[in-house]
Amino acid sequence: MIDFSAYGEQTPHIHGFRCQKCGTIYYPAPMVCGKCDATRDPVTGRGWEEFDLEGRCTLLTWTRVWNLPEGFNKKFLMFGMVSFPNGLKASGRIEMEGDPKIGMALVARTIEADERPGKPVKVFVFELA
Amino acid sequence: MAPRIGIVGAGHCRFGNSSDYDLVDVIAYAANEAFVDAGGLALRKEVDQVLVANMAGGLFNRETAVASALVSRMDMEPCPAELVENGPASGASAVKLGYMAIASGMADVVLVAAGEVMRSVTGWEATDIVATMAHKEAEYNMGLTLPGFAGMFTRLYMQKYGLTERDLALVAVKDHDNAAKNIYAHVQIPVTIEAIADGPEASVVNNYVAEPLRMYSTCPITDGSAAVILVNMDSPKARLFKKKPIRIAGIASATDTHCVHNRKDPLVLDAVRLSAEKAYKMAGIGPKDISFAELHDAFVIFELLISEEVGFFERGTSFLAVRNHETDLRGRLPINTSGGLKAKGHPVGATGVSQIFELVRQLRGEAEEGRQVKDPKYGMAVNFGGFGNNVVTTILAKD
Repeated sequence: MIDFSAYGEQTPHIHGFRCQKCGTIYYPAPMVCGKCDATRDPVTGRGWEEFDLEGRCTLLTWTRVWNLPEGFNKKFLMFGMVSFPNGLKASGRIEMEGDPKIGMALVARTIEADERPGKPVKVFVFELA
Repeated sequence: MAPRIGIVGAGHCRFGNSSDYDLVDVIAYAANEAFVDAGGLALRKEVDQVLVANMAGGLFNRETAVASALVSRMDMEPCPAELVENGPASGASAVKLGYMAIASGMADVVLVAAGEVMRSVTGWEATDIVATMAHKEAEYNMGLTLPGFAGMFTRLYMQKYGLTERDLALVAVKDHDNAAKNIYAHVQIPVTIEAIADGPEASVVNNYVAEPLRMYSTCPITDGSAAVILVNMDSPKARLFKKKPIRIAGIASATDTHCVHNRKDPLVLDAVRLSAEKAYKMAGIGPKDISFAELHDAFVIFELLISEEVGFFERGTSFLAVRNHETDLRGRLPINTSGGLKAKGHPVGATGVSQIFELVRQLRGEAEEGRQVKDPKYGMAVNFGGFGNNVVTTILAKD
């Protein structure tokens, strides 16, 4: 018998994907490896390894958006594009005081956000390292 | 050898707010205008294929199968009709598919009608609906929108090439000047550089939308429609139309990564460059032969970047050409003579056909006084789908 209450809420993660045939890494997941043509089964993930995409990254560019879409009840949000040491890049939100600087070191983590209707979604948050 | 294919009719409504009207009526209005322009509504019975461009009627208006509705609304049954959806490049994609239908021999006359009614929802909702073309998991879910991407893109360009916010405002001033003379434009009001950049109230008048992009760096939310009639110029049917065809000299498209972050250099718009190269090759001309251009300036940074990717200016120098008035109506290479998406407006599914409508008017010499380009030979339109990931380039020629 499983006692669900014994298990705490899992920390959300966003995954990168590694093709086990040739080792090429991706984010987000492709259906076909661009290097070796290996296909990914979206249900079983067979032949592909998932890994947490998080930790240190470098800010490539950023913006502060004032006209947020339906569902967001904040005055503004900052967004940025980062590169990870493994070469993968990603877009997400920036949470820090003041203006970010292109090239600055940040740390990526994942939260669950529910501004829009429907199930909560996983969102990258980039913060000061 | 493919037949010569030209445009013999063109129609357009005034862009603005059509939210009290049905999407199909709005599109049908432009189609009717195109037939009137071509010689009369009876010509609709000569159409072999209808293509309707619309990006998101299902979301904005809860209307789908718009092509089927249009042929019925216009008494054109049993003419074949299909809907074309390619984000904000739906319009030019429909023209390209119309060209392919004629080139294949399956049709001699094609009606391409395009429209979008976006103001039926709030501005916030419209921004959200347009953002659904971004990657669902890696972009849309983050809360990113098209203005957000354009803001990040602009900041990178500024850092690399020295573009200033004032330079962006100069593009807006030029586009609004052109739109003020265009009877079809949404915003027919000129703006001054003092009002939106240099004056003491500029930061209030021209507030930030997605830093460093300000309100006058972004297109308005606009409703509207446009239509063109394509004909096989070598077919006997061509003689039924009273207007001399404006020939489609080149039309081509290309794609790029769906996720913007997956591009090697986010500032390089490969799909623009590749689609333009293919269109130039098809037309047998190069950038120096283009007399004027309509470039997809949903954000004014795009006008600058596209003008570089299609070969008009060296990379990182287009804003210097704007400072020197080279892209003004009286400049060496007028860009966005209609006012562009920035001021004419951007009803997403209609925009590509609206750009081609402007090329036709200019090449016929039918633009308003003070807005007509002097003796144009070739006009180019670049229509973006997504954030530059599905791009159509069209070159029209006056023979």
